[in-house]
Amino acid sequence: MSKKIVIGGNDAVAYAAKQSFVDVISAYPITPQTSIIEKIADFIAKGEMNTRFIKVESEHSAMAAAMGASIAGGRVFTATSSQGLLLMHEVLHWASGARLPIVMANANRAVAPPWSIWAEQTDSLAQRDTGWIQFYASNSQEAYDLLFIAFRVAERVKIPAMVCMDGFLVTHTKEPVEIFEDEIDDFIKIKEKREVLDIDDPKAFGALAFPKDYMPIKLEQNKAVFSAAEAFDELSEQFYDISGRKYKELEIYGENSAEVAVVALGSIAETAHLAVDVLNNSGIKSKLVKINMFRPFPKKYLDAELKNVKHIVVFDRNISHGKGGIVKDEVTGSLGLGNVVGYVCGLGGYDVTEDDMVNAVRDVLDGKVKEDSYLWSEK
Amino acid sequence: MKKINRDEILQANHLACPGCGATLSMRLALKALGRKTVIVIPACCWTIINGPHGKNYAGVPVFHTAFETTAAVASGIKASFDMQGKSDITVMGWAGDGGTFDIGLQALSGAAERNDDIIYVCYDNEAYMNTGIQRSSATPYGAATTTTPPPIQKDRPKKDLMEIVNAHEVPYIASATIAYPKDLMKKFEKAKNTRGFKLIHLFSPCPPGHKSVESKSVEIAKLAVETGIFPLYEIENGVHKLTRKPKFTDVREYLYLQGRFKHLDDKEAEIITENIKQRWEKLTKKFEC
Ligand SMILES: Cc1ncc(C[n+]2csc(CCOP(=O)(O)OP(=O)(O)O)c2C)c(N)n1
Ligand SMILES: [Mg+2]
Repeated sequence: MSKKIVIGGNDAVAYAAKQSFVDVISAYPITPQTSIIEKIADFIAKGEMNTRFIKVESEHSAMAAAMGASIAGGRVFTATSSQGLLLMHEVLHWASGARLPIVMANANRAVAPPWSIWAEQTDSLAQRDTGWIQFYASNSQEAYDLLFIAFRVAERVKIPAMVCMDGFLVTHTKEPVEIFEDEIDDFIKIKEKREVLDIDDPKAFGALAFPKDYMPIKLEQNKAVFSAAEAFDELSEQFYDISGRKYKELEIYGENSAEVAVVALGSIAETAHLAVDVLNNSGIKSKLVKINMFRPFPKKYLDAELKNVKHIVVFDRNISHGKGGIVKDEVTGSLGLGNVVGYVCGLGGYDVTEDDMVNAVRDVLDGKVKEDSYLWSEK
Repeated sequence: MKKINRDEILQANHLACPGCGATLSMRLALKALGRKTVIVIPACCWTIINGPHGKNYAGVPVFHTAFETTAAVASGIKASFDMQGKSDITVMGWAGDGGTFDIGLQALSGAAERNDDIIYVCYDNEAYMNTGIQRSSATPYGAATTTTPPPIQKDRPKKDLMEIVNAHEVPYIASATIAYPKDLMKKFEKAKNTRGFKLIHLFSPCPPGHKSVESKSVEIAKLAVETGIFPLYEIENGVHKLTRKPKFTDVREYLYLQGRFKHLDDKEAEIITENIKQRWEKLTKKFEC
């Protein structure tokens, strides 16, 4: 029987890694990810987890060792944050190009300078073109659940997956989380066949490809990332049958026939639930569109949810300097919509309250804010 | 006398330049290690030598990887094999001097410090050859490269890779070269049968990079040893052992066979001779009698 325990997102992820029968973990500490790998080391020390933990000398090597472990046929997990994720950048491309189903947790943290250890999603959104599947969890339970699904989806389509959660706001906020006993075993123990290093069939992986070979390989990789949505639909349905918790590319909350849609990912979406309630109670028909899966980009679902909405307001806890919020840009660009206003907000962990969000939406409805803007007022 | 076995694992249609020391090295290394071997290859000439997409001339599984990641990838493979009951497979990283002395040194240090059970091989052609002969920290004093053209040729000595790795207290470190194939193979066999981290440093003549005649590669490798430029020795658990005592022949014999040194005069040759002397004074103290 599953049981409820009160833990933060980091511990939840560590439990999920343990229950996913990971063969190898390679990781390097960075706030606020650190307690994930400490907890895993603790599980291993107590003999509760049969996993080889490679204590690498950098995140760059963490991802490199993860690649080695994966191409050798093992199930592999790693976790990082911010500067660590950025250091991995080259190897992230390599892992997806080599079609290695590594699963990584990322604690979303602002990028220095100036130094900041607090929540922001610029780190992982800056990796959106690395060919990884990206999930965004907005609470500990989601982080726990999505990790299992991530392993299965990644292994199904042979593409690595990262589960992102906001630093401290999710990683360290203790909430009741339902932890499986062994109900998840049948689901998670399934490992799909894939090409690995095999001394009886000596192949070379990743050799020089001339243009005529390179492009089809890349198109195949692109197709595989797209196909992760279908795999996610199927596997999250199976996960629902086991857990009673349903995950989709998007989570919708609020009025069906809304005139305002608030779009967000990560912990801001939790606050947005409250903001949507306030707006609906004041007679402004609103809904929250929370993005759970950012890559592959859930275009089809967003289209269905947003096409008949008059005002779309995107809250971006990230910034692409010289452009604006990354999610706003993706939503607008992908759907070809003209009625989207983006707010860059909450950088470096700056608090974003429901009042902030309500007022920001009202400013759009009142015509006070017509263009992308910044949510900033000293508190 | 031990004969070299005839089983060829490396396929003859590889894409190396004629006279490539790195390729003859691989041929011998694989003869010693056998087919239960997997190789990690970073960006280097061997990326090309092993063949394009769909080919694998090494004859054993190869994972091509990013320039600086060889040691970490090899560590990951080994850990994964261990977890799957495949501990009998030898995991070898095979990198150039750039991938080892420079950009990959951090990952190499990490794997050595953890004493991961891999063989790390650096085939050292003393420059970034694949990108067209730029200097590396393994380029010797006096050598011309495209980024150190005379008169601004390299004015610093080569890093001492073996001693850097030895500072990590690993079980086995050795140098070898193609001019002494049995010695080279013996060292690979020893590495294969030693648990923990192993480093093998190979001196690798490169005709296009060293501006030498293709048919002279073995001779140049021999002279590198006999002049004292490239000492052949082992460090087993911290204990140094000389495996070939050089005759300390005139270093100019070695230099004159290679266009990369052609701008050097006798005075420069004397400096190099003096450097060799000083290096050997330090080394000799370490060798067991
Ligand atoms: C991160 C990165 N920087 C630079 C390069 C370009 N590059 C490819 S091979 C190479 C030189 C390799 O030199 P070495 O390791 O000595 O091997 P060799 O080519 O001499 O065999 C360089 C600089 C790269 N592939 N990746
Ligand atoms: Mg080189």
